Amino acid sequence: MKFCSLLLALLSLCASASALQVTDDRGVTVTLAAPPQRIVSLLPSLTETVCQLDQCHRLVGVDRYSDWPASVRKLPQVGGGLDPNIEAIVALRPDVVLVATSSRASDRLRALGLKVVALEPKTHADVRRVLDKVGLVLGVPDAQKVWRAIDAGVSAAAQSLPAGVRGTRVYFEVNRGPYGAGESSFIGETLARLGVKNILPASLGPFPKLNPEYVVRANPDLIMVGAYNAEGLAQRPGWPGIRALREQRVCIFPPEEAGVLVRPGPRMAEAARLMARCLTDKAPRAAAASGARG
Amino acid sequence: MSAARPPEGAKAPVGGSDPHTVGERGGSVSAARPPEGAKVPMGGSDPHPMGARGGSGSATVLEAFSVRAGLGEAPILQGLDLALAGGRWTSIVGPNGAGKSTLLKVLAGLLRAEGRVELLGRPLADWPRAERARTLSWLGQNEAAADDLTVYDVAMLGRLPHQPWMAPASAADHAAVEQALRATQAWDWRGRSLGALSGGERQRVLLARALAVQAQVLLMDEPLANLDPPHQADWLCLVRELVAAGKTVISVLHEISMALHADDLVVMQQGRILHHGACADPRAHRALEQVFQHRIAIHALAGQWVALPLP
Amino acid sequence: MNLRHASLLAWGLGLVSLGLVVLGFCIGSAGFENLLRPLLNPADDPVQTAMARQIVWDIRLPRTLGAWMAGALLGLAGAVAQGLFRNPLADPYLLGSASGASLGVALALAGLGGAGGMLGGNMMNGAVAVSMFSSSLWVRLGLTGAAFCGAVLAVILTLTLARGVQHTLRLLLAGVIVGVVLGATTSLVLLFSPDSLQAMQAFMLGSTGFVGWTAFGLMATVWALCLAAAWVLARVLDGLSLGEATAHSLGLPLAPLRAALVAVLALATGTAVAQTGLIAFVGLAAPHLVRAVVKVPHGRLMGLASLMGAVLLASADLLARGLIAPQELPVGVLTAVLGGGYLLWLMHRRTSGLAAGGVL
Repeated sequence: MKFCSLLLALLSLCASASALQVTDDRGVTVTLAAPPQRIVSLLPSLTETVCQLDQCHRLVGVDRYSDWPASVRKLPQVGGGLDPNIEAIVALRPDVVLVATSSRASDRLRALGLKVVALEPKTHADVRRVLDKVGLVLGVPDAQKVWRAIDAGVSAAAQSLPAGVRGTRVYFEVNRGPYGAGESSFIGETLARLGVKNILPASLGPFPKLNPEYVVRANPDLIMVGAYNAEGLAQRPGWPGIRALREQRVCIFPPEEAGVLVRPGPRMAEAARLMARCLTDKAPRAAAASGARG
Repeated sequence: MSAARPPEGAKAPVGGSDPHTVGERGGSVSAARPPEGAKVPMGGSDPHPMGARGGSGSATVLEAFSVRAGLGEAPILQGLDLALAGGRWTSIVGPNGAGKSTLLKVLAGLLRAEGRVELLGRPLADWPRAERARTLSWLGQNEAAADDLTVYDVAMLGRLPHQPWMAPASAADHAAVEQALRATQAWDWRGRSLGALSGGERQRVLLARALAVQAQVLLMDEPLANLDPPHQADWLCLVRELVAAGKTVISVLHEISMALHADDLVVMQQGRILHHGACADPRAHRALEQVFQHRIAIHALAGQWVALPLP
Repeated sequence: MNLRHASLLAWGLGLVSLGLVVLGFCIGSAGFENLLRPLLNPADDPVQTAMARQIVWDIRLPRTLGAWMAGALLGLAGAVAQGLFRNPLADPYLLGSASGASLGVALALAGLGGAGGMLGGNMMNGAVAVSMFSSSLWVRLGLTGAAFCGAVLAVILTLTLARGVQHTLRLLLAGVIVGVVLGATTSLVLLFSPDSLQAMQAFMLGSTGFVGWTAFGLMATVWALCLAAAWVLARVLDGLSLGEATAHSLGLPLAPLRAALVAVLALATGTAVAQTGLIAFVGLAAPHLVRAVVKVPHGRLMGLASLMGAVLLASADLLARGLIAPQELPVGVLTAVLGGGYLLWLMHRRTSGLAAGGVL
């Protein structure tokens, strides 16, 4: 009897030792008794993070917008990030649900007894931090390995650029509006790592809604834009005079590539490679470029 | 409806003692009133035929043949025939739901109906729009009014049938509007907007609008709404002047005592015409009492007929 | 007397418009900068002048004039809508044209984006890339074309549903129904194409940022046409303001003229929406702002409402680009603030006048 109770005490000690506590981006502390085996992810970048940590097999459900790697497309889809299907999520009996901080479902899921971890990366530093947290949740020892790979990938992309490309003045249009990617966004950070200049300074915020006149006056050397925002670019008033348009230096990314570029997740290295390829193809060689007009 | 028209040109005795002489028009308007203090003789001593065309000397202005009409499923008017003489004031009376407004709308051409309506001998449908609008003026009840227009502008709208499409207002238009506004004592506030007026004032402006058309026939549905007694009396004078000038006025009134000032009465009940004849005719009074289930009694009082409710 | 007031208002609005255009020279992505000097004194600094000329001529002038013109179209459409439906809450979008335009734009955006984000995700064909030279109808039509087509189709749908223009109430009801249904369809389309959401939002909030000379020319032509037509049809609206029965009795051929008015409304609204997206409140507020100052029959009201709408939107556009330059505020928000604020002040003045025993 005494031995049994001692064994029990020891076991419970081990259990509590392996129980981990995670504070998510909303400041909520979640306690997990054991590494979760059934995971539902409602944010594509978090799905990709899980898979990048080789834990794809633990995913039991994803949102409808998660599409990488190809294997997750076969998983049950439980709605979108903004409108998840609560019933479907609960029916999958997940050990933990990974959501964006902006999701409205977390309270409901928590009330139903599920463990919800809210994470949302916005900058490179965020991506690194989220990798750590997810690694912690999954019980993967060396999540930083992934970050190192991303970092190395970005650096490699930067080094692959021909010399004259540094200092090219770039405008990255995220969406019609026009919304641009500023220096303080993750896209802007990648561009900075690649050594190019962003016409949108950090003071404007990560994704400012611009006056199109600003872009004309800034006169970027190169424009990066996704395919469905590219329509009518050259017809905007005053834009045909922009150096990038005059010299046909516009990179139009098809939809899957555009998807990679706008996700702050483990594929940022690939994003950097896409941007580097664009710069190699289209950036002007003599990069002591024309300064901003006016 | 037999047509026993009195001989053309018979003149009405002024202030005559007996309002029920054969072959007379209901007289000039003043003669339609019973002599002071006289009681209405009961019984049908008067050979004035039932349902006859009301008058002499003037052709039929508006005529309806077998009119069936309704708003929706059940027809309200069931095969009516009616002939209204010109140069007289006819009042259509009856209990609620008798179809008075419906009849008036059909006569004005505002409501689709089976059967035929003729204006001055021509079917209403054959009249060109503008000509019809110049001949027939309508004043409806409870109609939306443009709160923001000035009184003058509203009255000027009555001149639309006379104005060629893009033409500005002519001198004749201005004269007509002034005359109409003065006739309804609305001239002094012609610059005020309609929305700033009280119910009675607004009604007078709308009446002025109907007058400004200077049409030969005026159809008015509840024109006395919101008017206080002095203005009701003004309206009465106005109508008498119009009739004296040869116009035809047809009104739907539910103030029976006011309606009894008219030349002719059309008494309706449940979509049919019970009686159509001179106002002074005791048979008209009997018919009136009948449709109101004998809850009213018609008496002569101070030179006029009045309908008093019987409690 | 009222005529004189009306003329004064017209002149006043004209002068303000002129002032706004001049200001428009100077307000842009760098906030307020005096570009008049280099333009007026070309000899001083030719580089500066060339730059100023390009900025002003290519960008700022067409944008300011375009905003003015779009406002004029919306103000006119608002006056026509309120007269036609005899309802002071009517606005140009009442016949479902706003929802139709939104749906057209949403379909165009979704179509351009390819198959991304479709239901189930299993139909994802990542191999298909949409290029700028796609022969897709939507790409060729462009977003403005899609918006215009959508608006026109929605109005046709409304008219079919209402079985003609016979009854104003039925027309109103049909317009509301079509608006709601098409709005729901737009949401559905966006659900399957979530990448379009942000672009769609830009459209919904309205933007004068991309208006160039072609857009301005198109709007100006349509405005001239619609204004002329509206003036000719003004007396129908005057007659209608007394009620349908009275209008009929005055000899107005209601059905064909009502159809013509609906056409003017649809054309003006569709054109404005196609160029600038959905800008709320201008069509609703402009006629009221005019009526608060002067009482006039419809002929003058439409011209004045048009001017008022133009001034409203041009001012909003200037503020949109000037307040947080080089960032931009959505112009629809500013029109609501400007127009709504002024209306509130007018209402306050009226009620406090009443409370003090004043006569309206």
